[in-house]
Amino acid sequence: MNAPRVWFLRLTSIFGRARRERELSEEIESHVQIETDELINRGVAPAEARRMALAHGGGVSEVHDAYRDQRGIPAVEQLLQDIRYGARTLRRSPGFTMIIVVMLALGIGSNTAIFTLIDAVVMRQLPVPHPEQLIAIGDPSRVGGFSDGTPRTDLLSYPLYLALRQQSHAFSGILASGRSGRLDVHIGAADAPLEHPRGRFVSGNYFTLLGVPAFRGRVFGEAEDGAPGTSPVAVISYGYWTRRFHNDPAAIGKSIVVDDNGITIIGVAPEGYTGEIVGISTDIWLPITMNDALQPHQRTLTQWNASWLLLMGRAAPGVTLAQATQEIEPLITQLIIANAPGKLGKEFAADKRKYYVGAGDRGFSRVRATFETPLFTLLIGVALLLVIICANVANLLLARAVVRGKEMAVRLALGANRSRLVRQLLTESILLALAGSAAGLLVAWWGSRALITLAFDGTVVPLDLSLDLRVLAFTLAASFIAVVLFGLVPALRASRVELAATMRASAAAVSSGSIGNRGNRMALGKLLIAGQVALSVVLLVGAAMLVRSLRNVQSVDVGLDRDHLLIADVDITTHGYARERLLQLAQSINERVGAIPGVDAVTYSENGIFSGTESGTNLRVPGFIARAAEDTNAAYDVVGPGYARGIGARIVSGHDLTPADEGQRGNVALVNRSFATFYYPSGNAVGQVFTIDDTTLVEIVGVLADTRDHGLKGTPDRRIYFSYAQQNLRREGSGSLRFMIRAKGDPALLVNRVREAIVAIDPALPIGGIDPLTDLMQQSIREERLVAKLATGFGALALLLASVGLYGVMTYAITRRTREIGLRVALGARRIDLVRSIVLESLGLVAVGMVFGVPIALGAARLLRAQLTGIDAIDFPSIAGALTVLAVSAAGAAMLPALRASKVSPIVALQSD
Amino acid sequence: MKKLDVQQGTLALMILKTLDSMGPLHGYGVARRIEETSRGKLTVRYGTLYPSLLKLEMEGFVRSKWGVSDNNRRAKYYALTAAGKKQLAREQHEWRETNLILSWFLTPEGA
Repeated sequence: MNAPRVWFLRLTSIFGRARRERELSEEIESHVQIETDELINRGVAPAEARRMALAHGGGVSEVHDAYRDQRGIPAVEQLLQDIRYGARTLRRSPGFTMIIVVMLALGIGSNTAIFTLIDAVVMRQLPVPHPEQLIAIGDPSRVGGFSDGTPRTDLLSYPLYLALRQQSHAFSGILASGRSGRLDVHIGAADAPLEHPRGRFVSGNYFTLLGVPAFRGRVFGEAEDGAPGTSPVAVISYGYWTRRFHNDPAAIGKSIVVDDNGITIIGVAPEGYTGEIVGISTDIWLPITMNDALQPHQRTLTQWNASWLLLMGRAAPGVTLAQATQEIEPLITQLIIANAPGKLGKEFAADKRKYYVGAGDRGFSRVRATFETPLFTLLIGVALLLVIICANVANLLLARAVVRGKEMAVRLALGANRSRLVRQLLTESILLALAGSAAGLLVAWWGSRALITLAFDGTVVPLDLSLDLRVLAFTLAASFIAVVLFGLVPALRASRVELAATMRASAAAVSSGSIGNRGNRMALGKLLIAGQVALSVVLLVGAAMLVRSLRNVQSVDVGLDRDHLLIADVDITTHGYARERLLQLAQSINERVGAIPGVDAVTYSENGIFSGTESGTNLRVPGFIARAAEDTNAAYDVVGPGYARGIGARIVSGHDLTPADEGQRGNVALVNRSFATFYYPSGNAVGQVFTIDDTTLVEIVGVLADTRDHGLKGTPDRRIYFSYAQQNLRREGSGSLRFMIRAKGDPALLVNRVREAIVAIDPALPIGGIDPLTDLMQQSIREERLVAKLATGFGALALLLASVGLYGVMTYAITRRTREIGLRVALGARRIDLVRSIVLESLGLVAVGMVFGVPIALGAARLLRAQLTGIDAIDFPSIAGALTVLAVSAAGAAMLPALRASKVSPIVALQSD
Repeated sequence: MKKLDVQQGTLALMILKTLDSMGPLHGYGVARRIEETSRGKLTVRYGTLYPSLLKLEMEGFVRSKWGVSDNNRRAKYYALTAAGKKQLAREQHEWRETNLILSWFLTPEGA
């Protein structure tokens, strides 16, 4: 037998069917004619001859069937037939089809959109060879961190990196990468405007270890790990090369000025490589060895307490993550204890530590740390939405199944078997799902980009949102689940038609709308409505809790004059201000800005408020016994005179920092109430003295009420406010100063005046930004705002869908009962009673849904708990709100058909159907 | 006399043999020839003939071509291919074997 050949022919038979059918008909016709001719020749009358010839050959249509079965593949033929038939049916009711496709597109699209983000942010590996070999050392979320206190394990120092690199055996190599802060770059003419590309300091083996070759020029090599300050070179990203240099090959070898140093561009990284940080694309890579030359106030290359690097190792062949971890953790500890200067090693040894050694295949990312949980929360939300949509679609299909009852009955009567009908209906559902998925991919494409814009307030975030196999597989899976959810039950139902009952047209009964099976179908529709209501309760309660939590966060008492503060970020170090000159600069800005009409008070500090920059220190308090390592930690800022008044903080005891305090020999500081009550539980903190840096004594001159300086959530830190004037004379200056300007009215109106005042003092002073505090606060809670916004949107959509579904089902039920209603009216029922009974019936359905929905919502709320502030696990206002909104919309949805039904004229009603 | 429908499986052999001995024939000719050879004991219907011819064609044992019959009717003619000849020889052999074996079973012992 020639099986392959036969199957090939069978497969190809899908095409040109009509032609072959025609040919077979011709062949049989010729067969009959030849036989007829012969019979006539033998003397049979022509008409009789043809009859005999036909009778001799057997049934003609059987031949076609048998022939078709031989020629093609029956299952495929049937499938194609189903698809053709299904497409025709769907085309015939375009409105119905459109609604379903749009709903499915929304459901599948929103799921795919969220999943695209999860894929890009959480799941995707770095685009380098063998990412699975990479092991990250350090906290991957701290991509922009810098700390100069006790050595740490979440960020590492350069000397520690060099030692690890030398002494570790688990890796074939380890690279280091650290934040650059803001780079001031001149390209071209000396008076060209300053640019601020996003930079990253990396070790010389960075590119070679990752396996990222140069697209043009060369990448770093061992030379770049040489003596500090000897490698004034840079590699730029393909994107930056395109954006800034228009892909000009002459960019390689070009000299640019970075932070007042001449730097030569030696190469361009390949297209598509944006760095090892997910969510931030690097424009320019500089050798770590150049850090201190470019940022003169930092001594990062020699100091064990300058923690700012994240490391990435490539595991040596055969080494597992567990083995690498076992080697690296003790090594870090030994090296720090042995090498950290002064008491830092001892402090480190005393600290409770958590080590960060983990898989590095997905790179480092702060975006991931921030958005991972919110994204999965949203995924649950959109999954619920999809289920609700499926229920709605199922309801529509059920309603239509009733309309198509007769068609099904006829087909069954003509001998179609039930499985064939089910298959036919499922095929239609699959067609709908496919159309929905295709449209859904468009929705997702748009949606995922819109989400990023929403999440990052319009900043461009370089996330790779292209479709990959994982996303496509997810979409397909979502559509498959959707088909099973919305298609199977209606298909099974629709095919179970009671022949006699349906064919006999509908003999409506007065007692109820249920004739056999049709009643069941309605019951199923109602069940689906109840289910939708239940899921809507879950979504609405969740959304309400998130919104209420956001409100709590936003309205938390920050202890600041939140509505009147303007924060100006001024970079002071790059222009040579230090010590006395720096202090004078701060004072003159203070005076100038303070003189602007509408300004109530001005002060300044190093870290500012809601800037994202924080400092911490260890301290000793006489008489205080620490029970845990972190008991001796406090956050601190270094502030100008009039600080409390400048930010609008309440003074609990003592007094605000004054110029007189600054002039004292002894160090003074303000502390917050948390600090005071923690270290001095029994008495007044004012006048007490504590020690920092082992030897420096600091006297407390005032206690401020707790303020929220850097975040709206969690409990306030213990905080110290040192005097900038006193500290500044002791140490090297830091990068920038933040001026807090307290306005009498709307602070946003003062932005330009403040900028002019600062420029008037020194036009070259780089101003990082001048923003109202409320804007900075909003930015600090953007993921909460995003989740709350989206959850509200999903909740509203769910509500709408449930209402539309209810409306549809009730309309349908009432249409079926037109006769009954007409009769009742004819028999004297009052219309108001009719309306009431119909609305009550609907609300009954909704109530059933609520009874099931509330416990599910309570369970789901537990999942949200980590993201909620000031909300109990059982939040009655949220539940009550959700139920009320649902009940009102449901009553509205039921009212319309009820009113319409009550207007039915008894005569028309009795004639109908 | 009772007429029998052709048994599935044997029809293919009959078609091949007919085409072998008669040369190219149209469907009606094949059917008529088989009925004659069976001395009128078999009836060949379209429903069995044409699918069988199609199967043989798909397997590459016969090929077909439209032509004109003796009494000037357009008709599709079937002819044996080289592969068909080989298949005929193989099936003939198998059928004889089967026949022989069956006859041993059906003939009374010692006869």
